[in-house]
Amino acid sequence: MAAVSFRELKKNFGHTRVLHGISLEIADGEFMVLVGPSGCGKSTLLRMLAGLEEISAGSIAIDDRVVNELESKDRDIAMVFQSYALYPHMTVRDNMGFSLKLRKDEKRRIDERVARAAKILNLEPYLKRYPRELSGGQRQRVAMGRAIVRDPKVFLFDEPLSNLDAKLRVAMRAEIKALHQRLKTTTVYVTHDQVEAMTMADRIAVMNEGRIEQLGAPLELYDRPANLFVAQFIGSPAMNVFDGTLKNEAVEALGASWPAPQNRGGDGQAVKYGIRPEHLQLGRDGVPAEVVVVEPMGHETELLVRINDIDLIVVMQGRSAHAPGERIFLAPQAANAHLFDAASGRRI
Amino acid sequence: MRRFTREAGLWLLTIPILLWTLLPIYHIFLFSISSKDSAFSGALWPDKPTLRNFGTIVREEHFYLHHFWVQIWNSLWIAVAVGVLTLATATCAAFAISRLKVRGGRTVMNLALFTYFIPAAFLAIPMYKAMGAYGLLNSRWSLVLAMVTLAAPYAIWVLKQASDKLPYELDEAARIDGATPLQLFRLVYLPLMTPSLVAIGTYALLLAWNEYLYAYLLLSHERTITLAVALGHFISADDSPWELLMATGLVYALPPAAIYYAFRRYMVGGLTAGAVKA
Repeated sequence: MAAVSFRELKKNFGHTRVLHGISLEIADGEFMVLVGPSGCGKSTLLRMLAGLEEISAGSIAIDDRVVNELESKDRDIAMVFQSYALYPHMTVRDNMGFSLKLRKDEKRRIDERVARAAKILNLEPYLKRYPRELSGGQRQRVAMGRAIVRDPKVFLFDEPLSNLDAKLRVAMRAEIKALHQRLKTTTVYVTHDQVEAMTMADRIAVMNEGRIEQLGAPLELYDRPANLFVAQFIGSPAMNVFDGTLKNEAVEALGASWPAPQNRGGDGQAVKYGIRPEHLQLGRDGVPAEVVVVEPMGHETELLVRINDIDLIVVMQGRSAHAPGERIFLAPQAANAHLFDAASGRRI
Repeated sequence: MRRFTREAGLWLLTIPILLWTLLPIYHIFLFSISSKDSAFSGALWPDKPTLRNFGTIVREEHFYLHHFWVQIWNSLWIAVAVGVLTLATATCAAFAISRLKVRGGRTVMNLALFTYFIPAAFLAIPMYKAMGAYGLLNSRWSLVLAMVTLAAPYAIWVLKQASDKLPYELDEAARIDGATPLQLFRLVYLPLMTPSLVAIGTYALLLAWNEYLYAYLLLSHERTITLAVALGHFISADDSPWELLMATGLVYALPPAAIYYAFRRYMVGGLTAGAVKA
């Protein structure tokens, strides 16, 4: 187990800078998720930690030891790839034991550790099979087994669930989390799926265009997004955001007055008003809107509503008797509304 | 009905082509089981088929066959050496260029492609001069080196294309697992490349086995020439022993046929695998 720290880490590909000085401290035993849209630099950051990409500037330290110049194999890390990257010509057993074999461990010891990992991951019946004879989920587990066997200081996951179908993804998500709770190994996990980030992480680093937009615990990001990008990236369905103007402790927008949280801006300031779908309630009075689409999920219902040609999403608990075309009134919960500066996108 | 006409059309096309291909081979076979007198009788099957020609060959009982065993050994030795050396060179080159991404790899690939534009016959005389300068004329090595030079560019090209199709994550996974480049080569790359390696090895081996021009130029002594060159000597006389020429030719054609048959699965898969970049 180990702490990982990135200090002012920069990466250029030719003349293009893809990481603009990332500083991030990952605590011993922490499950850190790097999340962001494709091209945000999250995978590059992980690959630099793995030793698969050169570092242009800055430093990476594992347990206070700078590893910039160390080969991957000397960094004491293990990585799980999106494509699993299992060796097709080796059995599950050989795949899992490969790193130990290269280290010239005793055969008895290798068998022991492979058996232990196989037991943790329920892979015991498959040890003699080849990767092509396994399902996607089983391959993913073998890839994890290969990492566990080495007992590394840090686990690296590069979008490990992206190739799985939706149902399996949910199951594997829980498995990885349970595994982390059991092994308590420091983990850096890259994904573009904010649901994975929210459900698995101790802390999330939301990245965009080579920078960390916000770092924090999942619910912290959800409740207090530092800027518009994080506000709209975290949460599904996404936060409703529209333009407005501050006036008398409220926001004038879409031809109505929206209640604002403790107001720190000045009257007349142009803002973006953000409110999550579950914080818009239906009332007898409030902002008038028209129902466009009703999506019943069973335990909740999603309504797509329209005000002045702007679409908003409302999530209500349970079922809804509303029908498309119906006029309704929205009652936003002021305490849960978010205000962002229209120009900078920063939280006010 | 349409399917029937299409199949019938295909058959009408296939059967003549097949006959066209097989006829010369049948001709060779016919000659090789005929006695000298009946060889030119024009019959579709000899009156008295005989295997005596093969006995003559095996016992080296004819002027042109005095060194048969040495010559076929030369052919074999050279072909295997060319196969092995081409494979070794091309595999290392393909690995370095495709997997280790060494500097200048692109240039090597372009140069390899460029050699396609120069006909092999064009290089025969310069090669003869070069081998003369190295004092290698009349040595098996001269032909081996010349053939490796001719076979390597294509081999590098095909193997590089095949290598490119292996997922790069495998190399990265191996690096993280602690493999050195050599271990990566030996434990991951070679096993996964086996089909292509078999195909290319066979290609180079057969190229050398079938070579005539270079063998004829670079080797001249009766005990150093390959069987292909020796076969050429048969027709230099006024009274050529055609039945022996054909029988020897048939013997010479057997090893390649056997190799093709043994590796047919790899030949098709391995060569096309590198041909198209998926």
